Amino acid sequence: MEYGILVHDVAPLPPDPRVVCAASWLDILPPGPLRAIYFGSEFCEFLLPDAVQVARYCKHAQNAGIEAVLLTPVATPGGLVRIKQLLYDLTAAGNAPAVVFNDWGVATLLREFFPALQRRAGRLINRGIRDPRLMEKEPFSGNTGERGKRLRSMLVSFGVSALETDPDLEGGFLGGGGEGMQRVLYLPYAFAASSRNCLIKADSAQRIDACFTKGLGTTCSGICRGESHRINRPDTHLPLWRAGNTVFFEVPQARVENHIGQADRIVLHERPTP
Amino acid sequence: MKILAPLRHSDEVVPLLEAGADEFFCGLTPPDWEARFGHTWANRRAPHSAGVRDDADFDRIIARAEGRPVFVALNAPGYPSGAVEMLASFGDELLSGGAAGLIVADMDLLLALVEAGHGPHLHLSSLATCSNAEAAKFYRDLGIRRIILPRHLTLNEIEAIQIPGLEFETFLLNDGCVFEEGLCATTHAAGAFCTMDGEGDEAVSPETRERYAFWKWTLNHCGCRTGNEYPMGPCGLCAIPRLLRSGIASFKVVGREASLPRKVASVRIAALSLRLARDEARPEEIRQAVIDLRGSPQMCEERHLCYYPDLWERKESIC
Repeated sequence: MEYGILVHDVAPLPPDPRVVCAASWLDILPPGPLRAIYFGSEFCEFLLPDAVQVARYCKHAQNAGIEAVLLTPVATPGGLVRIKQLLYDLTAAGNAPAVVFNDWGVATLLREFFPALQRRAGRLINRGIRDPRLMEKEPFSGNTGERGKRLRSMLVSFGVSALETDPDLEGGFLGGGGEGMQRVLYLPYAFAASSRNCLIKADSAQRIDACFTKGLGTTCSGICRGESHRINRPDTHLPLWRAGNTVFFEVPQARVENHIGQADRIVLHERPTP
Repeated sequence: MKILAPLRHSDEVVPLLEAGADEFFCGLTPPDWEARFGHTWANRRAPHSAGVRDDADFDRIIARAEGRPVFVALNAPGYPSGAVEMLASFGDELLSGGAAGLIVADMDLLLALVEAGHGPHLHLSSLATCSNAEAAKFYRDLGIRRIILPRHLTLNEIEAIQIPGLEFETFLLNDGCVFEEGLCATTHAAGAFCTMDGEGDEAVSPETRERYAFWKWTLNHCGCRTGNEYPMGPCGLCAIPRLLRSGIASFKVVGREASLPRKVASVRIAALSLRLARDEARPEEIRQAVIDLRGSPQMCEERHLCYYPDLWERKESIC
């Protein structure tokens, strides 16, 4: 097993990547070396780093002798323009991080305009159910490989080098590994739901017409960057967080073992972030 | 430029045609699905409350539609192992049996149906969240016919996404979604996750929580209300002229599980608005016609129900 960690700034990297998680996770995470740092955003185009920040992360990874991986989100037309510009700027500056796409438009951009960048399919390519209310109740299906076979073949034909996901209810999304793509599992948080109608954006809005549907198309300062807070619901005992436009939950450890068995790399998140 | 109406029973076809429906969509579950996959849904809505009962009723729907297209939703966001094969075969039967197309979200099912040569009969569900032109290009290259755009887009974004070689469908009336439906990994089978969202979230100000609760209430038809029998939920009727100009092919009236009177009223007001738009009515005139029928002018004037509020000038009300 190898590891990646999600980082929010350029800071010293831990000798054992597993210390990023709460101590309760140490027992089920196999030992392994740190091979990559992840940065960027999967859920919100307003949280993308700029080319200068990406360059810092790339340098940080290079100094540590590990891989730099840029996360990109689902994109509106405006967001896609920003992502394209970012990729131009960072490649023009000589940086070449691997890029995780969570949007088929971003995947198309990468294929057509940035074929030299390593492409990795992100967790939003997997639209499987991750409902926390079911995660704590339903038994694990034990699925081991047939789900998503055509998708994986297509990704391989597109030159995608890795398939990444958080644990979903069904399992089996990463497949048996026969396709040759690296299989990557995010822990310990899965996302439950995400939206452009961001409650945190609305909370920082100066005008009522910048909230929810009326605020679509208005920009956001990214006030949530690096932040998350616990939320409680009476319909689940699992720990939940709101981080920007997305609700996350900590996956029950009992459901994780089979997912780990299908992974070549685990990416650890110190806290949930969009 | 069609009004797409929801169906769950063959008895609804004729009243909805009379109300102005041009095409239909419904949900149907393979007969042996439950024995194999339990309570997992074959499409995004509950089979018993929103789905067509059986193949026989589907055959009656096709007969009563008198050649109008009927599309079948097989649009769960993902499926358990083995389900794609069963649904691909079921989709094949549906198309042979008169369905004009299949509405699909899951990529593996989409690819299986494309492999089987059904690309020209495939509509990409809004659950697939196609929200930019490069993504549309990706799906066009797979050979599908139509993209159903997600709910939460501005009119400028809708115009920017449309590319040649595809049909595009937008949401027009009813049934909002708090989260982006395609990015909501929960299931209504366990209850709507969004209903409680924000309640008691002390990191968010009480004023924002109140605004959030009000906005969610409007998405839920203002607490399931009607105005003069017309639904009081999310609405894009005034935006029809602009959507028409941009080339939208079909306007979706949502709500398979709704009662027939609500469906008929929804299709009637949608068809009226489309007629007005074709006669070059301005958005203001359509809005007035809608208010005349539905009442509650304040909900329109303050854009509380708008799917596309960017049609109207933003107001500078301070929070």
